[in-house]
Amino acid sequence: MTAQSALGPTPEKTVTRLRIEQRMEQPTWLRYASPIILVGAALLVGALLLRLAGANPWFVYRQMFSIAFGSAYGWSDTTIKAVPLIVIGLGVALALRMRLFNVGAEGQFFIGAFMATGVALYILPTNAPAWLMLLAMGLGGFIGGAFWGFIPGILKARLNVNEIITTLMLTYVAVLWNNYWVYGPWSERGFGMTSTFPDNAWMPRFTDYAEQIPALRGMTAHFGIFVAIVLAIVMWILLRSSKWGFEISVIGDNNRAARYAGINLSRNIILVMMISGGFAGLAGMIEVAGVVHRLQERFSPGYGFTAIIIAWLAKLNPLAIIPVAYLFGGLLVGGDAIQPAGVAAMLQGVILFVVVGGEMLLTYRVRLEKVAVAA
Amino acid sequence: MTPAQSKHAHVATIAAGEPWRASDDAPPAVEMRGITKRFPGVIANNQVDFTVKRGEIHALLGENGAGKSTLMNVLAGLYKPSEGTIWIHGERVDFNSPRDAIAAGVGMVHQHFMLVPVQTVAENIFLGVRETPFVLDYKQMAADVRRIGTQYGMPVDPNAKIWQLSVGEQQRVEIIKILYHGAQVLILDEPTAVLTPQETLGLFATLRTMVAQGKTVIFISHKLDEVLSIADRITVLRAGGVAETVFARDVNKVQLASLMVGREVLFRLEKPERAPGEVRLALSAVEALDNKNLPALRKLTLKVHSCEIVGIAGVAGNGQRELAEVICGLRAISGGVIEVCGKTVTNAAPIVMINAGVAYVPEDRSTTGSAPNLSLAENTAIKSYRDEPVGKGMFVKRNTMRTIAGGLIDRFNISAPSTATPVRKLSGGNLQKVILAREISKRPRVLVAAYPTRGLDIGATEAVRKILLDERNDGAAILLISEDLDEIFAIADRIAVLYEGRVMGEFASADADRETIGLMMAGHAADTAHTSPARNPEAAS
Amino acid sequence: MNKRAIWSILSMIVLFSMLLGGCAVPAAAPAAPAADAAAAPAEAAPAEAAIQIPAPVDGMFNVAFVYVGPVGDAGWTYAHDEGRRYLEENLEGVHTAYLESVPEGADAERVIRNLARAGFNAVFTTSFGYMDPTATVAAEFPDIDFVHVSGFLKGPNFSNLFGGMESMKYLVGMIAGAKAQELGATQVGYIAPFATAEVVRHINAAAMGMRSVCPECTLDIRWTFSWFDPNLERESAASLIDAGAVVVITGADTPGPVQVAGEKGVFGVGYDSRNACSIDPEACLTVPYWNWGPEYVRLVQEMMDGTFVGSDIYFDVDSGSLGLLGFVEDQTPQPGVPASIVPQVQELLAKMESGEFTRFDVFSGPINDNKGNLFVPEGEQLTQSDLEGLKGIEGREDCTFCMSWLAEGVSPDAELPSGN
Repeated sequence: MTAQSALGPTPEKTVTRLRIEQRMEQPTWLRYASPIILVGAALLVGALLLRLAGANPWFVYRQMFSIAFGSAYGWSDTTIKAVPLIVIGLGVALALRMRLFNVGAEGQFFIGAFMATGVALYILPTNAPAWLMLLAMGLGGFIGGAFWGFIPGILKARLNVNEIITTLMLTYVAVLWNNYWVYGPWSERGFGMTSTFPDNAWMPRFTDYAEQIPALRGMTAHFGIFVAIVLAIVMWILLRSSKWGFEISVIGDNNRAARYAGINLSRNIILVMMISGGFAGLAGMIEVAGVVHRLQERFSPGYGFTAIIIAWLAKLNPLAIIPVAYLFGGLLVGGDAIQPAGVAAMLQGVILFVVVGGEMLLTYRVRLEKVAVAA
Repeated sequence: MTPAQSKHAHVATIAAGEPWRASDDAPPAVEMRGITKRFPGVIANNQVDFTVKRGEIHALLGENGAGKSTLMNVLAGLYKPSEGTIWIHGERVDFNSPRDAIAAGVGMVHQHFMLVPVQTVAENIFLGVRETPFVLDYKQMAADVRRIGTQYGMPVDPNAKIWQLSVGEQQRVEIIKILYHGAQVLILDEPTAVLTPQETLGLFATLRTMVAQGKTVIFISHKLDEVLSIADRITVLRAGGVAETVFARDVNKVQLASLMVGREVLFRLEKPERAPGEVRLALSAVEALDNKNLPALRKLTLKVHSCEIVGIAGVAGNGQRELAEVICGLRAISGGVIEVCGKTVTNAAPIVMINAGVAYVPEDRSTTGSAPNLSLAENTAIKSYRDEPVGKGMFVKRNTMRTIAGGLIDRFNISAPSTATPVRKLSGGNLQKVILAREISKRPRVLVAAYPTRGLDIGATEAVRKILLDERNDGAAILLISEDLDEIFAIADRIAVLYEGRVMGEFASADADRETIGLMMAGHAADTAHTSPARNPEAAS
Repeated sequence: MNKRAIWSILSMIVLFSMLLGGCAVPAAAPAAPAADAAAAPAEAAPAEAAIQIPAPVDGMFNVAFVYVGPVGDAGWTYAHDEGRRYLEENLEGVHTAYLESVPEGADAERVIRNLARAGFNAVFTTSFGYMDPTATVAAEFPDIDFVHVSGFLKGPNFSNLFGGMESMKYLVGMIAGAKAQELGATQVGYIAPFATAEVVRHINAAAMGMRSVCPECTLDIRWTFSWFDPNLERESAASLIDAGAVVVITGADTPGPVQVAGEKGVFGVGYDSRNACSIDPEACLTVPYWNWGPEYVRLVQEMMDGTFVGSDIYFDVDSGSLGLLGFVEDQTPQPGVPASIVPQVQELLAKMESGEFTRFDVFSGPINDNKGNLFVPEGEQLTQSDLEGLKGIEGREDCTFCMSWLAEGVSPDAELPSGN
């Protein structure tokens, strides 16, 4: 009687309406089970689409699974994909814990790879010991990524510039920068790639030990996985038990309270963006040193973006990032076998879509209801 | 039923529902029967029966944690009751969300406003409209907002942005919003906690207009005077259950207080004499800007001594927030000097102020004073994690943190399920105790307490004031910012009146006169001769 | 069913697949085929559209193909797939499978290795970027035969395969030059993917062919730095035409430039596959194309017989594996080809087919570079190593006139992108 009449006359009728409302209380078990439920639901929707495309979903999934996880080789291939996802995911999760959206990990990944390549091909002599070479490359990669994170970090801290925009835009700069070098000064034969790294700049791979352990032959997974696992554990410990981790949790929950408590916000924003970028840069180094063995154009199938979803599905828990990254790595590896190639890309897209959309359904719920439309 | 409850059975008791049935055939506006709400480990409401007559102002009174907010959140559709049934205007309802409640004509104004600061008043009001048209008619929106405002005596500018409004004005926006959404039953959760005495009177006038026009008001409060002056009937909740429902005209303050607390309550505090010690905090000619870059502090000069509580009296918005913030390093000053314990700390970072021994109980408990989703233990450590015993090397010792928090829970009588509870689940009073416990446990040399008892119930208020006095007795210099003159008179040693960023006058509280202070709060400071003797306490003593 | 709903669902899927497929600046190759596959209805290629997972068939000789683009690119990959189908139809007991849109680099190595592990008897990899991965995997699987197209490495079980397309590009240059002359213009455009020896020698051959007919014509170049980038190829074509080109020759994988030429009222020359002209026959002068089928049959037959030995295979026009639309197999020239040039082209093509005129005759001195300096003196002829720009490759002689120069006829201010 007061105000609804102001909305203009609405005829009396009953309509069915879709309502989205926040769940009052989300049960604890649901929070932990939700990633599993979501992935399951995603596979179901994917199955439906495969069915519509005339395929046997069960067969396709079984094949994908067996390619990704069904053999030691599969695990090796999946590991290769999981490593960059884990390392980038850790950085993204760290930033997200402070509610900093580093969506530019892809660019930091490229810059890290670029720096590592510079070290391997143009700075250190080709006969440098492998440990020094890899260490210097890792450092270079980290510094490169950190610098790429520092720019949005300082802009955020000093001028409050939205980091989503700056990190995303810097990704384009990074990719084009990378293109310039691989097509220009560092190009090999005019292709978008540098020459191959010297052997001492190759990260050790399992297959390199095939002479001692024949079972490892053909296992091209590299020792970057150990780096990834160690980083995850270190990050987990730091976030849980260090003063710095405590500061991050306070800032992430309420940055005004953090400032009030004497925590230096600007410094932490810059630091966290640098570490987040540094991790992505390190992942770039690991990828070129462990897998590609040279810098080339488009050597990432979007790791930096996928890692955002991984960090999020893992609820920003460093240890949970590992299995989630393996799952997505398996999706990439398994998907490569499906032809035409578009089907795999579509399937991966659908799974992402359902996982992302489903998360909303678990936090909110959708109800159909009949309502009388009247004042 | 506890013995304490039966002891008070002599207070004019009303069997639920009886009086209105005798006088009025219309169904009650609200009828809640057997409402039980359980949270993991807690029963917030236990078999509550609650009936509100149409057209009455019904106060829901109780200490923090008594279950008032939970019960009203159930009524407003935010929580689903574990058991029990609700009827609105005689019709049985089953709310799944606040939208359902609004559709049934029940709207709630929460303690923490749910407004979008960067949008205008009109836009905020239209945010929750169900039939949002694709294209918004801003003129029509503004006109509607104005009309409702005028109808109930709540003038607001529909085109003002929320962040430009005072807290009292924001509250009006919230009320207009739910009225706009067609609320017949308005639930106001501690509405006066954020208002000045004048604003409170304005609100009461509005509420009376509303009931005169057929609305029903449920008024959550723990302030006895207020409840007695505005409510028709009062339901007292205690420990999740109904203690009594009474007619306001039949009870007095003491009876209500006993009903709430379950025991007799003292209204006076012991305040031993203490000679002020050395100057701990000195501000000279301090100038600062507010968030809108307007002058908030103008050449403000003030000293606080050891063993002294200086009360800052004044109407909210006259520089109190800025005063507290400059002392704590949270706001830069554009002129003047700040000294703590003789050391100049002008424009130092918050951490420098903390290390200099300045503690701060901020005005905004949940937005500044605490990290809502972090646990109670973590919140008690957000300043102390750097130092032993919580901090060690580069790590924090979580066990120590919990142990210390457990000790604070006992010492400050904080009621919380555990030290792991996120503080957003604590009631306002308990959260305030957590903050006070944290600030005081660092043994501050200077304590700035902004509105420390705002929104607290009698028991908690008593406890907080006692804590402040204890600190003062132990030598702390305390700056108490409050709009409650009673409080200032009760515990402050000196009173400074703040008006438009200036100290209008200072008095020893023993010789202060309420009337003069009231006038100064309104800006009438002409009679400087009257105040000058108390200007300089050192000279006076 | 509601059509709009289907489209919105499809576009969402595409959107998200792009997120996964790489949001990086140049809309990454994997994303585009996803859009194609999702948007194009099944009738495009009903027999092939069904979802398949490449797997060997017992009792057959199993051959796998790894493609850089989608089979529907109407260009490079389409031509290889045509060859694959030719192979399956013409050789008894052969089963084939393919993987399309496989990114060059690390992913390729994994894909190739998995095909080897899966039990395929032979693997053909059809892009330059697969060279190192193929070599690596070939060394791991000595019992499996590998053929890499367009590279220069070999091994005991690993051959490289390519052909003298430059001869055909020379003829294309002649046709383009004649067309420009007919239109009273002097500008011809060339879309070049990379500054590789392969691409550069094709450009140079086209330039020389053009100059042989039209001495006043110049060849303008746009680099796309991608084998397969439909958008960029179209944009480059438009840029060339806007700069005055009346014929656009593409060296990249899609017929997009031909289409753009038609839209802008000028003419185009496609590349790679015989159907590249079908996109706009009026505007399309010709297509130099690959006819991989016979070569595939020959190689797989060797493998089945056990006589396959890793080697450098480089065929010329006389092999029958190179085609020029309108001039071979009883085809008639496209409507846009100037009648005056047809006899000259036919005459030279006949010499090529008989082996009388080869790629080395195309590149024999005197040749000036595009700045007007004498580059190859009278009486000198480029060698195979010169054509492929080989240097420091084991078992191959080093080049002297290495293929990193531009021939006279190419616009004088054109430079090769640095880094060679």
